[in-house]
Amino acid sequence: MSKTTAFSQRNLKELIRDPLSYLFCLGFPLVMLIVMTLVNNGIESSTAELPPGAVSAAPTIFQIDKLAGGIAVFGLTFLMLFTCLTVAKDRSGAFLMRLYATPMRSGSFIAGYMLPTFVLGIIQIIITLAASLVIALVKGVDLNVGGLALSVVILIPTVIMFIALGVLFGTLFSDKSAPGLCSIVISLASFLGGIWFDADSTGGFLKKLCDVLPFIHSVKAARFACALDFENIPSHLLISTAYAAVLTALSIIVFKSKMKADLQ
Amino acid sequence: MLAVETKKLVKKYKTKTAVNCLDLKVNEGEIYALLGVNGAGKTTTIRMLTCLSSPTDGECFVCVKNCVSESSEVKKLTGISPQDTAVAENLTVTENLQFICGVYEFPPEKTNESVDKIIKLFSLEEYKNARAKTLSGGWKRKLSIAMALIGEPKVLFLDEPTLGLDVLARRELWKVIEKLKSKITIILTTHYMEEAEQLSDRIGIMINGELKAEGTLSELEAKTCEQGLENVFVKIAEGGEE
Repeated sequence: MSKTTAFSQRNLKELIRDPLSYLFCLGFPLVMLIVMTLVNNGIESSTAELPPGAVSAAPTIFQIDKLAGGIAVFGLTFLMLFTCLTVAKDRSGAFLMRLYATPMRSGSFIAGYMLPTFVLGIIQIIITLAASLVIALVKGVDLNVGGLALSVVILIPTVIMFIALGVLFGTLFSDKSAPGLCSIVISLASFLGGIWFDADSTGGFLKKLCDVLPFIHSVKAARFACALDFENIPSHLLISTAYAAVLTALSIIVFKSKMKADLQ
Repeated sequence: MLAVETKKLVKKYKTKTAVNCLDLKVNEGEIYALLGVNGAGKTTTIRMLTCLSSPTDGECFVCVKNCVSESSEVKKLTGISPQDTAVAENLTVTENLQFICGVYEFPPEKTNESVDKIIKLFSLEEYKNARAKTLSGGWKRKLSIAMALIGEPKVLFLDEPTLGLDVLARRELWKVIEKLKSKITIILTTHYMEEAEQLSDRIGIMINGELKAEGTLSELEAKTCEQGLENVFVKIAEGGEE
């Protein structure tokens, strides 16, 4: 067994044996999926009561075909939190120090943190999108299975991006302060990612801020993939991939330099 | 052969000198107790010998391998049980041990063999399927030492192995350490004088980063004209060595 495999297995076990990670990574997004579907049902009922000829201003954001991609991204923010907590806890205790004294190298540490969370992230997306498909079938909404499968692939850079953010925050902050910081990013990602409102209908600074950050591009790429809208996927996918590449490189550099500093 | 050797070893942190011109020699198979008050430089010395910290000056060797230029080799020769218990809390006792075998890239057969051997040595049979977080402090510390030992080190560093344990748990750990006597070189730091008396072949006393005295208990008693390690230690710590 290689060092990286051993460390990956350990991290996977640590993650899946923490009931909170199920609750937040899987449970919470699924609850939000159901709650927002119910909200959408309420909106649809109220617009059905409009007089003939009246134009509905009801948002379409909570319709399951839009919601699926957004909630899949929302769930990944919790993956960032748990990656961050794993790294920060290891760093705050003597566990990582013990491993520094073994033949393990920095590459094994980083890969060992990233690989299991990547697998969990992909499983999480599949479960969220499968639940979306069930809801779509119940509601009689047309949701393409091929589009959902494409979304899983399209969201791979987003999985990597959130894991990299988790490693970065876990390396830089303590296990006490890191969760607070992650909560801010989770709120920002869900708000500025246009998951809960239509960011395109806003303007000015808020719209610019949404466009500059990666979250809305991840959500849009997933939504366009769900709709098999191949024309609009590449631009958003490119931005989320670029963010994933930069943040991964940054997390590796920061982890390595912190490790070097710890060994001074 | 010398298991551990330091030559004029120095470690400075900004204005503080944690270890100052330390010349230490530990023979193969010896249990060497490093005593000193808090901040004496014991843990810093262990950190340098386990490649967790680089010396400001001087050299240190484990089994003639240089801890700086041959750190990869040294890491294969050493095992450390840190002051704070360092175990993976959500893994079982067996999984923790298997994990360390994986870190040392043991083949599967060797892993199973080593895990069984260590579980027996540390009497961990009853808890082998228990998660580490459910263990008491004493059993956790045993597991932590077992994890340091399973990588088959030539030199084992135990940094205050019985700190915070009750008398019974401490005695249990002593039994385990005694079983290792002469099979492996052990350097242990401790604040408990009776622990050093009970376990060690030789004792080194560090004060303000310097090795003020070393030898067997009887040699130290003769040197200080005191009886018992506690009196010897106090005399040396207060600068009364003759």
